Amino acid sequence: MIEFKGVIKSYAPNKTTVVHALNGIDLSIKEGEVVVLRGASGSGKSSILSLIAALSKPTSGEVIVDTKKISKLSDNFASLYRRDNIGFIFQKYNLIPNLSVRDNILLPLVPLNLNAKEAQAKLQSVMEMFEIGHKADTIVKNLSGGEQQRVAIARANVNNPKIILADEPTANLDEKLSLGFIEILKELKSLKKTIVIATHDPLFFGLDFVDREIEIHNGSIVR
Amino acid sequence: MILSPEVLTLFILNALFAFFALIAFVLSVKIFLKWDTNATDQTQYQLEKQSFLSATIIKYIFIIKVPLFLFFIFTMDKISGILPGAMCAAGVVDATAYGVYLILLKILNLYIFAYWLVLHNEDMKHETQPYTKMKFGLFIVAFFLLMSEIVLEWVMFSAIDIQKVVDCCGVIYSSTTSSYISMLFRIQTPLLLAAFYGNFALIVLFYFLRKKEIFALFNATFIIISLITLISFFGTYIYELPTHRCPFCFLQKEYHYVGYVLYIFLFIGTFYGLVTGFVKASKSDVYRSYKVSMLFTFLYVVLLSIYPLFYYIKNGVWL
Repeated sequence: MIEFKGVIKSYAPNKTTVVHALNGIDLSIKEGEVVVLRGASGSGKSSILSLIAALSKPTSGEVIVDTKKISKLSDNFASLYRRDNIGFIFQKYNLIPNLSVRDNILLPLVPLNLNAKEAQAKLQSVMEMFEIGHKADTIVKNLSGGEQQRVAIARANVNNPKIILADEPTANLDEKLSLGFIEILKELKSLKKTIVIATHDPLFFGLDFVDREIEIHNGSIVR
Repeated sequence: MILSPEVLTLFILNALFAFFALIAFVLSVKIFLKWDTNATDQTQYQLEKQSFLSATIIKYIFIIKVPLFLFFIFTMDKISGILPGAMCAAGVVDATAYGVYLILLKILNLYIFAYWLVLHNEDMKHETQPYTKMKFGLFIVAFFLLMSEIVLEWVMFSAIDIQKVVDCCGVIYSSTTSSYISMLFRIQTPLLLAAFYGNFALIVLFYFLRKKEIFALFNATFIIISLITLISFFGTYIYELPTHRCPFCFLQKEYHYVGYVLYIFLFIGTFYGLVTGFVKASKSDVYRSYKVSMLFTFLYVVLLSIYPLFYYIKNGVWL
């Protein structure tokens, strides 16, 4: 389903410095698989996620998702691909703090031009699934970290994407909330979602529902 | 040299165009030579980023150039007030040897630039961007035309001598003078009208038959025929003067700026007519081009036809 072919990703923060985030990665992730990308900060985990989400392009090499060469997509088509296929859970949630839970979750539906009834049905479904229906009208900035995480997960799933990407999803959560998040991931796996998690949180290591753990070090897969 | 605020504005904008177009030109040459849509190497990814930058520059130059053409005509019309003998932009065009060529080049560029925009929009609709090489190749040609236009515009405004008496449109477009343009005005009115309405009828016919190449061809001939007819026949009814033939006077306030409306209708109508034949687009896009072309050409013909009809109703005679 997701394939990396000789992917190199370099960043040039200024004219004299080049940072090699990924050094010729070859990787294949099957449909419905749950993969944990392990590694220290700066090892290249987030670069892999942003390439799968077509948020950035490789320096060279190819990223293919469902036979579509997403690394070759123009910005317009990359946006459409993301809209239809990707649910992204960010470390800092990236919610809009002054909007309500309902409005935050509805945001990814705006470009779809759904009628109110369809949008409401999708909203209701994810709010029930992630148990935040009772907070629908609460302004997001007034929620706790765990609740904000649930809103972020609901938002990532409202379009029913095939792929869920999570970048350090438990970095701002305590252990109890982190375990709750892991339970949610289990549920998502049962819905046949392909899930890729970039983390260095040991809670994710050795979990029974995780199909594979990939260790990244200095932009290369070491295990 | 005339340095009115309008001319200065044109010069400043031309300088900006030249600067940005040069950047886009360098990138376009690289893209045209090295673009390989299947490649996944560093060069190709860089070219993809550069193509976005280059296309954005070109798009904005061209988008600004369309209203700027009208501003150029407005400028020519305005500075006619300080040229002895000139009554409208025609006198300014005729004041130097470059004016006519500049106008023709500007019209040609307008069609080429608009075509580039259509090609670019079509290219962006496909994941594989099939027209990228072609559109940047076209820009390489367009760049030289744009630069020629900028240089010619500079040369023309520099060559205008405000001490020298110039001809007015009444002389330039008179059928009694011996210029090539004047020869066109000696064509018999029935023949001219037959060509004009005949060409329009053929456009309508091939609109309904949906023969896009022939539709485009008759739009191309319509540009020339309609301009001659406008100046030679319909213009006299706009001015309500049987001997006054000028493609610029009706751009003035006393004729309610109708010239701008006419030229915009003619440009949009014929441009989209040409697009149907020259761009490989989806059926729905071709259908839209057909409709836009037909609508504007129809409006152009109706607007022109109203003038002689109203004149006849009002006065009971033809000019």
